[in-house]
Amino acid sequence: MSVTNMAKEASLTARLPRRLIIATLSLLLVSAAFSAEAQSPRYRAPRTSDGKPDLNGIWQAVNTANWDLQAHPARLSAVVALGAAFSIPPGLGVVEGGDIPYQLEALKQKEENQAHWMERDPEIKCYMPGIPRATYMPYPFQIVQSPNQVVMAYEYASASRIIYMNSAEKSPADAWMGWSIGRWEGDTLVVDVTSFNAETWFDRAGNFHSDALHVVERYTRVADDVLQYEATIEDPKVFTRSWKISMPLYRRLEKNAQLLEFKCVELVEELIYGSLRKGRSN
Amino acid sequence: MKKRLIPVIAALSLMASQGPALAHHAFSSEFDANAPVHLTGKVSKVAWVNPHAWIYVDVKTADGSMTTWAIEGGTPNNLFRHGINKDSLQVGTDIVVEGYQAKDKSNRANGRDLTLPSGQKLFMGSSGTGAPYDTKTNPAQ
Repeated sequence: MSVTNMAKEASLTARLPRRLIIATLSLLLVSAAFSAEAQSPRYRAPRTSDGKPDLNGIWQAVNTANWDLQAHPARLSAVVALGAAFSIPPGLGVVEGGDIPYQLEALKQKEENQAHWMERDPEIKCYMPGIPRATYMPYPFQIVQSPNQVVMAYEYASASRIIYMNSAEKSPADAWMGWSIGRWEGDTLVVDVTSFNAETWFDRAGNFHSDALHVVERYTRVADDVLQYEATIEDPKVFTRSWKISMPLYRRLEKNAQLLEFKCVELVEELIYGSLRKGRSN
Repeated sequence: MKKRLIPVIAALSLMASQGPALAHHAFSSEFDANAPVHLTGKVSKVAWVNPHAWIYVDVKTADGSMTTWAIEGGTPNNLFRHGINKDSLQVGTDIVVEGYQAKDKSNRANGRDLTLPSGQKLFMGSSGTGAPYDTKTNPAQ
Protein backbone atom coordinates (compact mmCIF):
# COMPACT_ATOMS: atom_id res chain seq x y z
CA MET A 1 0.00 0.00 0.00
CA SER A 2 1.42 3.44 -0.91
CA VAL A 3 2.14 6.00 1.77
CA THR A 4 -0.61 8.29 0.39
CA ASN A 5 -3.19 5.54 0.61
CA MET A 6 -2.13 4.69 4.14
CA ALA A 7 -2.50 8.36 5.07
CA LYS A 8 -5.99 8.34 3.52
CA GLU A 9 -6.85 5.16 5.51
CA ALA A 10 -5.64 6.75 8.73
CA SER A 11 -7.77 9.82 8.28
CA LEU A 12 -10.79 7.67 7.46
CA THR A 13 -10.51 5.69 10.67
CA ALA A 14 -9.82 8.86 12.61
CA ARG A 15 -13.24 10.12 11.56
CA LEU A 16 -15.06 7.01 12.93
CA PRO A 17 -16.11 7.57 16.52
CA ARG A 18 -13.68 5.87 18.94
CA ARG A 19 -16.58 4.43 20.94
CA LEU A 20 -17.91 2.65 17.89
CA ILE A 21 -14.51 1.04 17.28
CA ILE A 22 -14.24 -0.13 20.88
CA ALA A 23 -17.81 -1.42 20.80
CA THR A 24 -17.19 -3.34 17.59
CA LEU A 25 -13.97 -4.85 18.88
CA SER A 26 -15.65 -5.88 22.15
CA LEU A 27 -18.52 -7.48 20.28
CA LEU A 28 -16.08 -9.44 18.12
CA LEU A 29 -14.13 -10.65 21.16
CA VAL A 30 -17.27 -11.68 23.09
CA SER A 31 -18.80 -13.47 20.13
CA ALA A 32 -15.48 -15.26 19.59
CA ALA A 33 -15.59 -16.41 23.21
CA PHE A 34 -19.20 -17.49 22.83
CA SER A 35 -18.59 -19.49 19.68
CA ALA A 36 -15.61 -21.22 21.32
CA GLU A 37 -17.72 -22.23 24.33
CA ALA A 38 -21.09 -22.50 22.65
CA GLN A 39 -22.47 -21.82 26.14
CA SER A 40 -22.02 -19.48 29.11
CA PRO A 41 -18.45 -18.37 29.93
CA ARG A 42 -16.23 -21.06 31.53
CA TYR A 43 -16.54 -21.25 35.33
CA ARG A 44 -13.42 -20.28 37.25
CA ALA A 45 -13.21 -22.06 40.60
CA PRO A 46 -12.04 -20.16 43.68
CA ARG A 47 -8.40 -20.89 44.46
CA THR A 48 -6.66 -22.39 47.46
CA SER A 49 -3.72 -20.52 48.96
CA ASP A 50 -1.34 -22.31 46.56
CA GLY A 51 -3.31 -21.17 43.53
CA LYS A 52 -5.08 -24.42 42.68
CA PRO A 53 -8.86 -24.88 42.16
CA ASP A 54 -10.45 -25.45 45.54
CA LEU A 55 -11.99 -28.91 45.66
CA ASN A 56 -12.34 -29.00 49.44
CA GLY A 57 -15.74 -30.04 50.72
CA ILE A 58 -18.19 -32.85 51.12
CA TRP A 59 -19.46 -34.31 47.85
CA GLN A 60 -21.83 -37.05 46.80
CA ALA A 61 -22.93 -38.76 43.59
CA VAL A 62 -26.68 -38.88 42.99
CA ASN A 63 -27.29 -41.80 40.63
CA THR A 64 -27.66 -45.57 40.59
CA ALA A 65 -24.10 -46.32 39.47
CA ASN A 66 -23.45 -48.38 42.60
CA TRP A 67 -26.36 -50.65 41.63
CA ASP A 68 -25.23 -51.03 38.02
CA LEU A 69 -22.85 -48.90 35.97
CA GLN A 70 -24.84 -49.68 32.83
CA ALA A 71 -28.38 -48.63 31.95
CA HIS A 72 -30.85 -50.87 33.75
CA PRO A 73 -34.61 -51.12 34.34
CA ALA A 74 -36.17 -51.45 37.80
CA ARG A 75 -36.36 -55.00 39.07
CA LEU A 76 -36.62 -57.05 42.23
CA SER A 77 -33.31 -57.65 43.96
CA ALA A 78 -32.16 -60.83 45.71
CA VAL A 79 -34.22 -60.21 48.83
CA VAL A 80 -37.91 -60.83 48.13
CA ALA A 81 -39.03 -59.96 51.65
CA LEU A 82 -37.79 -56.38 51.33
CA GLY A 83 -39.93 -55.80 48.27
CA ALA A 84 -39.87 -52.31 46.83
CA ALA A 85 -37.75 -50.98 49.71
CA PHE A 86 -34.77 -52.88 48.38
CA SER A 87 -35.57 -53.29 44.71
CA ILE A 88 -33.04 -52.24 42.13
CA PRO A 89 -34.08 -48.76 40.95
CA PRO A 90 -33.89 -47.86 37.24
CA GLY A 91 -30.88 -45.96 35.93
CA LEU A 92 -29.63 -44.50 32.68
CA GLY A 93 -26.08 -45.73 33.30
CA VAL A 94 -22.82 -43.83 33.53
CA VAL A 95 -20.72 -45.69 30.97
CA GLU A 96 -19.81 -43.56 27.94
CA GLY A 97 -21.03 -45.45 24.90
CA GLY A 98 -22.99 -47.85 27.10
CA ASP A 99 -20.82 -50.96 26.69
CA ILE A 100 -18.33 -52.41 29.10
CA PRO A 101 -15.88 -54.16 26.73
CA TYR A 102 -15.34 -57.50 28.48
CA GLN A 103 -13.17 -60.23 27.04
CA LEU A 104 -15.27 -63.34 26.33
CA GLU A 105 -14.27 -65.36 29.40
CA ALA A 106 -14.44 -62.31 31.62
CA LEU A 107 -18.01 -61.61 30.53
CA LYS A 108 -18.99 -65.08 31.77
CA GLN A 109 -17.35 -64.24 35.08
CA LYS A 110 -19.35 -61.01 35.29
CA GLU A 111 -22.61 -62.83 34.67
CA GLU A 112 -21.71 -65.42 37.29
CA ASN A 113 -20.87 -62.65 39.74
CA GLN A 114 -24.22 -61.02 39.09
CA ALA A 115 -26.11 -64.27 39.55
CA HIS A 116 -24.37 -64.86 42.91
CA TRP A 117 -24.33 -61.24 44.00
CA MET A 118 -25.29 -61.75 47.61
CA GLU A 119 -22.53 -64.27 48.30
CA ARG A 120 -19.85 -62.47 46.32
CA ASP A 121 -20.25 -58.69 46.39
CA PRO A 122 -17.49 -57.40 48.70
CA GLU A 123 -19.70 -54.42 49.63
CA ILE A 124 -21.92 -56.74 51.61
CA LYS A 125 -19.09 -57.71 53.95
CA CYS A 126 -17.85 -54.16 54.34
CA TYR A 127 -14.67 -54.61 52.36
CA MET A 128 -12.94 -51.51 51.06
CA PRO A 129 -14.90 -50.39 47.96
CA GLY A 130 -11.94 -49.59 45.74
CA ILE A 131 -11.72 -46.89 43.07
CA PRO A 132 -13.89 -45.73 41.32
CA ARG A 133 -16.71 -47.42 43.27
CA ALA A 134 -15.93 -45.40 46.43
CA THR A 135 -16.77 -42.24 44.49
CA TYR A 136 -20.33 -43.19 43.61
CA MET A 137 -21.45 -45.18 46.61
CA PRO A 138 -24.65 -43.57 47.92
CA TYR A 139 -22.85 -41.89 50.82
CA PRO A 140 -20.90 -38.62 51.04
CA PHE A 141 -17.14 -38.31 50.85
CA GLN A 142 -14.85 -35.47 51.80
CA ILE A 143 -11.95 -33.94 49.88
CA VAL A 144 -9.23 -32.36 52.00
CA GLN A 145 -6.75 -30.64 49.76
CA SER A 146 -3.18 -29.52 50.38
CA PRO A 147 -0.27 -28.91 47.98
CA ASN A 148 1.47 -32.28 48.51
CA GLN A 149 -1.47 -34.52 49.34
CA VAL A 150 -5.16 -34.68 48.63
CA VAL A 151 -7.04 -36.85 51.09
CA MET A 152 -10.38 -38.37 50.17
CA ALA A 153 -12.32 -39.69 53.13
CA TYR A 154 -15.39 -41.80 52.34
CA GLU A 155 -18.27 -42.27 54.77
CA TYR A 156 -18.75 -45.91 53.69
CA ALA A 157 -16.67 -48.15 55.97
CA SER A 158 -14.63 -45.06 56.89
CA ALA A 159 -12.59 -45.85 53.77
CA SER A 160 -10.01 -43.32 52.74
CA ARG A 161 -7.07 -42.78 50.47
CA ILE A 162 -4.21 -40.36 50.16
CA ILE A 163 -3.44 -38.96 46.72
CA TYR A 164 0.27 -38.18 46.57
CA MET A 165 0.69 -35.09 44.42
CA ASN A 166 3.48 -35.15 41.80
CA SER A 167 5.10 -38.09 43.54
CA ALA A 168 7.40 -40.75 42.11
CA GLU A 169 6.97 -42.99 45.15
CA LYS A 170 6.08 -46.61 44.39
CA SER A 171 3.35 -48.65 46.03
CA PRO A 172 4.68 -51.15 48.58
CA ALA A 173 1.81 -53.60 48.06
CA ASP A 174 -1.42 -54.10 46.14
CA ALA A 175 -4.44 -52.85 48.02
CA TRP A 176 -8.21 -52.56 47.82
CA MET A 177 -8.03 -48.78 47.40
CA GLY A 178 -5.02 -48.87 45.08
CA TRP A 179 -2.17 -46.35 45.04
CA SER A 180 -3.02 -42.81 43.94
CA ILE A 181 -0.65 -40.33 42.34
CA GLY A 182 -2.12 -36.92 41.52
CA ARG A 183 -1.22 -33.93 39.36
CA TRP A 184 -2.97 -30.82 38.03
CA GLU A 185 -3.75 -30.45 34.33
CA GLY A 186 -5.01 -26.89 34.09
CA ASP A 187 -7.99 -26.75 36.42
CA THR A 188 -8.47 -30.52 36.53
CA LEU A 189 -7.15 -32.81 39.26
CA VAL A 190 -5.90 -35.93 37.48
CA VAL A 191 -5.42 -39.01 39.67
CA ASP A 192 -3.56 -42.05 38.37
CA VAL A 193 -4.50 -45.13 40.40
CA THR A 194 -2.63 -48.44 40.16
CA SER A 195 -1.52 -51.28 42.45
CA PHE A 196 -5.01 -52.67 43.03
CA ASN A 197 -5.65 -56.17 44.25
CA ALA A 198 -8.35 -58.18 42.49
CA GLU A 199 -10.85 -58.06 45.33
CA THR A 200 -13.18 -55.14 44.60
CA TRP A 201 -16.14 -54.79 42.27
CA PHE A 202 -17.31 -51.77 40.33
CA ASP A 203 -20.97 -52.12 41.34
CA ARG A 204 -23.65 -54.51 42.62
CA ALA A 205 -24.10 -55.97 39.14
CA GLY A 206 -20.96 -58.09 39.30
CA ASN A 207 -18.72 -55.83 37.20
CA PHE A 208 -15.19 -56.68 38.30
CA HIS A 209 -11.49 -56.33 37.49
CA SER A 210 -8.12 -58.03 38.01
CA ASP A 211 -4.96 -56.86 39.76
CA ALA A 212 -3.94 -55.25 36.46
CA LEU A 213 -6.57 -52.53 36.89
CA HIS A 214 -5.49 -48.99 36.05
CA VAL A 215 -7.84 -46.06 36.66
CA VAL A 216 -7.29 -42.43 35.66
CA GLU A 217 -9.70 -40.04 37.34
CA ARG A 218 -10.41 -36.42 36.48
CA TYR A 219 -12.04 -34.00 38.94
CA THR A 220 -13.06 -30.57 37.62
CA ARG A 221 -15.06 -28.01 39.55
CA VAL A 222 -17.63 -26.78 37.01
CA ALA A 223 -19.80 -24.74 39.37
CA ASP A 224 -19.61 -23.61 43.00
CA ASP A 225 -21.28 -26.81 44.14
CA VAL A 226 -20.62 -29.29 41.35
CA LEU A 227 -17.61 -31.37 40.39
CA GLN A 228 -17.50 -33.13 37.06
CA TYR A 229 -16.03 -36.60 37.58
CA GLU A 230 -14.61 -38.85 34.92
CA ALA A 231 -12.80 -42.14 35.28
CA THR A 232 -11.04 -44.04 32.50
CA ILE A 233 -10.72 -47.72 33.29
CA GLU A 234 -8.34 -50.18 31.70
CA ASP A 235 -7.48 -53.77 32.60
CA PRO A 236 -5.77 -55.88 29.93
CA LYS A 237 -6.68 -59.11 31.75
CA VAL A 238 -10.42 -58.39 31.72
CA PHE A 239 -11.35 -55.83 29.05
CA THR A 240 -10.55 -55.55 25.34
CA ARG A 241 -9.95 -51.79 25.53
CA SER A 242 -10.24 -48.93 28.00
CA TRP A 243 -13.65 -47.47 28.80
CA LYS A 244 -14.94 -44.42 30.62
CA ILE A 245 -17.56 -43.43 33.14
CA SER A 246 -18.62 -39.87 33.98
CA MET A 247 -21.02 -38.16 36.36
CA PRO A 248 -21.48 -34.95 38.32
CA LEU A 249 -20.72 -34.90 42.05
CA TYR A 250 -22.83 -32.56 44.14
CA ARG A 251 -21.77 -30.64 47.20
CA ARG A 252 -23.60 -31.46 50.43
CA LEU A 253 -24.90 -28.03 51.40
CA GLU A 254 -26.44 -28.66 54.81
CA LYS A 255 -25.02 -26.32 57.47
CA ASN A 256 -24.04 -29.37 59.48
CA ALA A 257 -22.84 -31.44 56.54
CA GLN A 258 -20.28 -33.95 57.80
CA LEU A 259 -19.21 -37.54 57.38
CA LEU A 260 -20.78 -39.72 60.03
CA GLU A 261 -19.31 -42.92 61.33
CA PHE A 262 -20.32 -45.91 59.22
CA LYS A 263 -17.98 -48.62 60.47
CA CYS A 264 -19.82 -51.53 58.96
CA VAL A 265 -17.41 -54.36 59.86
CA GLU A 266 -19.25 -54.85 63.15
CA LEU A 267 -22.57 -54.91 61.31
CA VAL A 268 -21.42 -57.95 59.33
CA GLU A 269 -20.28 -60.08 62.27
CA GLU A 270 -23.56 -61.95 62.50
CA LEU A 271 -23.50 -62.69 58.78
CA ILE A 272 -19.92 -63.96 58.73
CA TYR A 273 -19.57 -65.56 62.16
CA GLY A 274 -23.11 -66.11 63.44
CA SER A 275 -22.97 -69.80 62.57
CA LEU A 276 -20.05 -70.23 65.00
CA ARG A 277 -22.10 -69.15 68.00
CA LYS A 278 -22.19 -71.76 70.76
CA GLY A 279 -25.31 -73.85 70.78
CA ARG A 280 -26.06 -73.26 67.11
CA SER A 281 -26.84 -76.50 65.31
CA ASN A 282 -25.84 -75.28 61.83
CA MET B 1 -18.91 -42.54 93.29
CA LYS B 2 -16.59 -44.59 95.53
CA LYS B 3 -18.86 -47.64 95.34
CA ARG B 4 -18.68 -47.63 91.50
CA LEU B 5 -14.92 -47.14 91.46
CA ILE B 6 -14.05 -50.26 93.48
CA PRO B 7 -15.09 -52.86 90.88
CA VAL B 8 -13.44 -50.74 88.16
CA ILE B 9 -10.14 -50.54 90.05
CA ALA B 10 -10.32 -54.26 90.79
CA ALA B 11 -10.84 -55.08 87.13
CA LEU B 12 -8.00 -52.80 86.04
CA SER B 13 -5.51 -54.31 88.50
CA LEU B 14 -6.50 -57.78 87.34
CA MET B 15 -5.83 -56.83 83.76
CA ALA B 16 -2.50 -55.19 84.61
CA SER B 17 -1.23 -58.28 86.39
CA GLN B 18 -1.74 -60.56 83.42
CA GLY B 19 1.30 -59.33 81.46
CA PRO B 20 2.02 -60.99 78.09
CA ALA B 21 -1.10 -63.09 78.18
CA LEU B 22 -3.05 -59.87 77.76
CA ALA B 23 -1.75 -59.53 74.19
CA HIS B 24 -4.28 -59.86 71.38
CA HIS B 25 -4.36 -63.32 69.79
CA ALA B 26 -1.40 -64.67 71.73
CA PHE B 27 1.37 -66.57 69.96
CA SER B 28 1.15 -69.42 72.45
CA SER B 29 -2.46 -70.22 71.64
CA GLU B 30 -1.66 -70.99 68.03
CA PHE B 31 2.05 -71.69 67.63
CA ASP B 32 4.66 -73.84 69.36
CA ALA B 33 7.80 -72.02 70.53
CA ASN B 34 9.48 -75.43 70.79
CA ALA B 35 8.79 -76.39 67.18
CA PRO B 36 11.12 -74.22 65.09
CA VAL B 37 10.98 -74.55 61.31
CA HIS B 38 13.47 -73.70 58.60
CA LEU B 39 11.77 -73.69 55.20
CA THR B 40 13.19 -73.15 51.72
CA GLY B 41 10.88 -72.56 48.78
CA LYS B 42 9.29 -70.24 46.26
CA VAL B 43 6.77 -67.54 47.13
CA SER B 44 3.45 -68.54 45.57
CA LYS B 45 1.23 -65.81 47.04
CA VAL B 46 1.34 -62.89 49.47
CA ALA B 47 -1.78 -61.62 51.23
CA TRP B 48 -1.13 -58.06 52.36
CA VAL B 49 -3.80 -57.92 55.05
CA ASN B 50 -4.21 -56.80 58.64
CA PRO B 51 -3.67 -57.85 61.37
CA HIS B 52 -1.17 -60.27 59.80
CA ALA B 53 0.23 -60.49 56.31
CA TRP B 54 0.49 -64.08 55.08
CA ILE B 55 3.27 -65.38 52.86
CA TYR B 56 2.57 -68.64 51.04
CA VAL B 57 5.66 -70.67 50.21
CA ASP B 58 5.83 -73.79 48.03
CA VAL B 59 8.28 -76.12 49.73
CA LYS B 60 9.68 -79.39 48.40
CA THR B 61 9.10 -82.20 50.88
CA ALA B 62 11.43 -85.15 51.61
CA ASP B 63 9.68 -87.38 49.07
CA GLY B 64 10.04 -84.78 46.32
CA SER B 65 6.45 -83.52 46.25
CA MET B 66 5.52 -79.87 46.68
CA THR B 67 3.54 -78.56 49.61
CA THR B 68 2.40 -75.05 50.42
CA TRP B 69 3.18 -73.50 53.80
CA ALA B 70 1.28 -70.49 55.12
CA ILE B 71 3.59 -68.18 57.07
CA GLU B 72 2.09 -65.55 59.32
CA GLY B 73 3.98 -62.25 59.42
CA GLY B 74 3.54 -58.86 61.00
CA THR B 75 1.25 -56.19 59.62
CA PRO B 76 1.90 -54.99 56.06
CA ASN B 77 3.28 -51.72 57.46
CA ASN B 78 5.68 -53.63 59.72
CA LEU B 79 6.88 -55.66 56.74
CA PHE B 80 7.35 -52.52 54.62
CA ARG B 81 9.52 -50.96 57.35
CA HIS B 82 11.73 -54.04 57.31
CA GLY B 83 12.16 -53.92 53.54
CA ILE B 84 9.57 -56.55 52.66
CA ASN B 85 7.18 -55.32 49.93
CA LYS B 86 5.70 -56.44 46.64
CA ASP B 87 8.95 -55.69 44.82
CA SER B 88 11.30 -57.55 47.16
CA LEU B 89 8.85 -60.42 47.62
CA GLN B 90 7.49 -61.15 44.17
CA VAL B 91 5.72 -64.39 43.38
CA GLY B 92 8.37 -66.93 42.37
CA THR B 93 11.10 -65.53 44.63
CA ASP B 94 13.22 -68.17 46.35
CA ILE B 95 13.23 -67.49 50.07
CA VAL B 96 14.23 -69.13 53.34
CA VAL B 97 11.78 -68.72 56.23
CA GLU B 98 12.60 -69.30 59.89
CA GLY B 99 9.80 -69.47 62.43
CA TYR B 100 7.67 -71.66 64.63
CA GLN B 101 5.19 -74.30 63.51
CA ALA B 102 1.50 -74.28 64.39
CA LYS B 103 0.50 -76.31 67.44
CA ASP B 104 -1.73 -78.58 65.32
CA LYS B 105 1.35 -79.54 63.25
CA SER B 106 -0.25 -78.26 60.04
CA ASN B 107 1.71 -76.47 57.28
CA ARG B 108 1.32 -73.18 59.05
CA ALA B 109 3.98 -71.24 60.92
CA ASN B 110 4.64 -67.95 62.64
CA GLY B 111 7.43 -66.35 60.64
CA ARG B 112 10.38 -64.65 62.33
CA ASP B 113 12.96 -64.04 59.61
CA LEU B 114 13.01 -64.41 55.89
CA THR B 115 16.13 -64.53 53.74
CA LEU B 116 16.04 -63.20 50.18
CA PRO B 117 18.08 -64.61 47.24
CA SER B 118 20.59 -61.78 47.82
CA GLY B 119 21.34 -63.23 51.24
CA GLN B 120 19.64 -60.32 52.97
CA LYS B 121 17.88 -61.47 56.13
CA LEU B 122 14.77 -59.48 57.04
CA PHE B 123 12.66 -59.59 60.20
CA MET B 124 9.08 -60.48 59.35
CA GLY B 125 7.61 -61.22 62.78
CA SER B 126 4.54 -59.98 64.63
CA SER B 127 4.56 -57.74 67.67
CA GLY B 128 2.54 -57.88 70.86
CA THR B 129 1.78 -61.60 70.56
CA GLY B 130 4.21 -62.97 73.14
CA ALA B 131 6.27 -64.71 70.46
CA PRO B 132 9.77 -65.89 71.55
CA TYR B 133 11.40 -63.10 69.51
CA ASP B 134 9.05 -60.39 70.75
CA THR B 135 11.27 -58.43 73.18
CA LYS B 136 8.43 -56.17 74.34
CA THR B 137 6.33 -59.00 75.72
CA ASN B 138 9.33 -61.25 76.46
CA PRO B 139 11.94 -58.91 78.02
CA ALA B 140 14.12 -61.92 78.89
CA GLN B 141 14.99 -62.34 75.14
